[in-house]
Amino acid sequence: MWTAGSDVGSPDNQILKRMPDFLLRVLLVLNFLIIITMAGFMARSIIGTVHAGEATAFLEAAGRMPVEAGKIPMVVMVLYLTLMVLTTVICNNHWELLAKSVGECIIVAIISIMLGMGYTGAMFLVIADVIRYKIDWKERALYIVSVSMFYIILNSQMVLKLLNIIPVDVYWTYYSVHFQEGLTAGFSTMKLVNIFIFIFYVVIIALAQMSEADRIYSLNLKLQAANEQLEKYAKESAHNAEIQERNRLAREIHDTIGHSLTGIVTGIEASIMLMDVSPDAAKQQMKAIEEVARAGITDVRQSVRALRPDILENNDLENAVMKMIDDMRKSTGVTIIYENSVRIEGMSEDEEDTIYRIFQESITNSIRHGKASRIECYMRKEENFLHITISDNGIGCKDVKQGFGLHHMQERLNLLQGELKYSGTEGFTVDVKIPIRWGKEKWDD
Amino acid sequence: MRVIVSDIMKTKEVNRGLKVSLCIILFLLSILIMQLGEGSFRRTRSNLTIGVFSGSYWDVQNGNTYRILDDAIEKFEKKYPNINVTYETGIIKSDYTEWLNEKIMSGSMPDVVFILGSDFSSLAEIGALKNLAALSGSDRNFTKEDYFSSAWESGKYAGKQYALPFECAPQLMFVNKTILNREKIALPDADWTWDEFYSICKKVAHSSEEGNNQYGVTGYDWTCAFNADGVDFFSNGSEKVDFTVPPITDSLNLLEKLNELNDGYQVSGADFSDGNVAFQPMPFSQYRAYKSQELRIKKYSGFEWSCLTMPAGPDGDNVSELDTLCIGMSSSTNMEKEAWNFMKLLSADPEIQREILLYSDGLPVMRNVTLSDEAQELIEGDHESSLNMEMLEQAIDHSVVTPRFRGYSGAKEQVDLAVRSILDGVSNIETEQILWNREINNYLQTIN
Repeated sequence: MWTAGSDVGSPDNQILKRMPDFLLRVLLVLNFLIIITMAGFMARSIIGTVHAGEATAFLEAAGRMPVEAGKIPMVVMVLYLTLMVLTTVICNNHWELLAKSVGECIIVAIISIMLGMGYTGAMFLVIADVIRYKIDWKERALYIVSVSMFYIILNSQMVLKLLNIIPVDVYWTYYSVHFQEGLTAGFSTMKLVNIFIFIFYVVIIALAQMSEADRIYSLNLKLQAANEQLEKYAKESAHNAEIQERNRLAREIHDTIGHSLTGIVTGIEASIMLMDVSPDAAKQQMKAIEEVARAGITDVRQSVRALRPDILENNDLENAVMKMIDDMRKSTGVTIIYENSVRIEGMSEDEEDTIYRIFQESITNSIRHGKASRIECYMRKEENFLHITISDNGIGCKDVKQGFGLHHMQERLNLLQGELKYSGTEGFTVDVKIPIRWGKEKWDD
Repeated sequence: MRVIVSDIMKTKEVNRGLKVSLCIILFLLSILIMQLGEGSFRRTRSNLTIGVFSGSYWDVQNGNTYRILDDAIEKFEKKYPNINVTYETGIIKSDYTEWLNEKIMSGSMPDVVFILGSDFSSLAEIGALKNLAALSGSDRNFTKEDYFSSAWESGKYAGKQYALPFECAPQLMFVNKTILNREKIALPDADWTWDEFYSICKKVAHSSEEGNNQYGVTGYDWTCAFNADGVDFFSNGSEKVDFTVPPITDSLNLLEKLNELNDGYQVSGADFSDGNVAFQPMPFSQYRAYKSQELRIKKYSGFEWSCLTMPAGPDGDNVSELDTLCIGMSSSTNMEKEAWNFMKLLSADPEIQREILLYSDGLPVMRNVTLSDEAQELIEGDHESSLNMEMLEQAIDHSVVTPRFRGYSGAKEQVDLAVRSILDGVSNIETEQILWNREINNYLQTIN
């Protein structure tokens, strides 16, 4: 909300939005005219007073030395230029706005003092500049009240006396009574015009902001409709996923159990025919069927495993792994040590699945094939890799053939650009490296 | 896309930084313009300007205009050959105030200016004069003890030293010795009192058969009486005063009694110069002027005359007012050190101060110069010595400085009015005092 300008809206709003900037420019020009005219007349008065031989009377009325004639318009002009540049500086926060407003107040105060407090209306410029900012009304009110207080103090007689300023009226005494009247009337008119434009500016700003509120309301309605639509899509998408999953299961069943059962049925038919002719051949055939059936079981297991483990659905990875290891300890009585120096957060589902599978597969292998009684699992961070080591004290395996488990691991790791190493010389050791890609990892080093 | 956006943001930041620096530069520029004196452009740092009027401060033309100043300049330029001291000639004393004020308003005030007693407070008030405290304090060759203390005080405004004294003249009581001799009255001592003063006035005041009336005193007004009776009226500037104190009652009583001696006749200065009045308070410069060879026949020639201290009131001393011509420095000078050295030369150089005795009618403000034997010779000239130097010393030492604040002349007029109406009225003096006390303080409030 910290913008001084405004973004696009309807064409109607466009005018309303450009208006304040335009009015501010008008205010800047008008104030410049008032200030420079007044400074000019003051300078003229000083020069004229000296020429008319009325310096003594002037100084007596003034009670202090006036600034040199030429300096008044020059200094006032440079200061006003400073003010104009300052109004174009955009602020990004409260401190900047505060500093800017204070700076503007100081410049306006010096200009007013230079003009013998004859014109303090430039203070409206400061207020106009502040309320351009879309800060909330409470803060804005605070700014307006502070600047207004400053304006009131500046206009009080106290300041004239305290700072020993020559009142502008003393300068005017140089001119003829007739001219003085015209001069004061002219300046009061200009002051009134200044105030009028300022009020107009405030009204326009308020209007623009009301239309802004309307726009936000209509945007909100649109957003709500979009949200509802989105919810509907989400439901549909869940349904689609269900169907997809069902299809996948059907395919899986067809590919595994279907395949095996077909083989078994065909084999049994052949066995029935062979039974009477050659019981030996039938026996052999039955053995082949047994193998097919076993392979089927393996396939089914594999399929079941390929589905995401339930445990990961309900827990984060760390808890899931620990729970799995705990279950394993209880059911097998094997000592499993698990140490993790990494806090894993913000990983993708793929990565979590893979890590879980690696632990599960490796521990299962160690128990089933390695007959290990102690398994050590470590997970740590090395440079930009997650490093997992699982080693056991089992019988190991001199010539490792990539069974389905290791193969499966390798495949999953390939997808993550990970690396798999294993060795069966001393017990069995699996060494996995996965590049870390998740966002803001937090490490408990 | 990200890069482009941040580039735009950067340009915005740079623009903002530029704008803010521009603001600061412009602001500093405006301060610089304010600070630049006219001298910064036009005047070279080797030209010291002096503001001075032609003729004598004491309103007696003696043909020695600029003589002392020229000598001082010669001496100064010899010591500081690279500095050129200049002044504008031909500004008569009555035009000097306006001339100086015009210079001030157009920003070309001379570096060093002679200050008329009546201009001093307004010049100090408007800030045209530099406060000399720092300069005089840091100058080891300068000590205010060299001056008569009231002469030094006369350079003060609101407790700050704005000027150095140049020449001074105490107010003295001129005595017509011929009248006193005729009435067989001895010349009073330097510590004479109001009682003696009144009794002499009473004795001499009588009308003769030939219509040649003789009077006691002229020109002895409330300021003389207040000073003599220790009333330090307006010593706190325009703050509240107490017009009801007993010394004022005494003063008013004396003035009333003196008035009564004249039977309603307004005695004037002309009566004194005609030789018909015993006393008239006058500045010492008058004594010097008319004792001198050239002017002695012009005035006061028909009788023997001398001067005395002012008479002391019951609660006061033989106090008189000291009129001083001061020199000050422009607050906007860019040759502060040079200006100070020149002021010091005029004010505190015994040789230059001695020239006051030769070419002016005032007195040097340096104690040693005024009280030297040579001074007595120079003052008296070749005629019989009638001046008592101890009396003169006492008069200066006991002198007070005219109050200095803005609006003093108006306040003085108020008291004039009060005194005149009390003396002319018939009602009780103390009651009138209470009434006028309120009037005077009301007036003081309006000028505050």
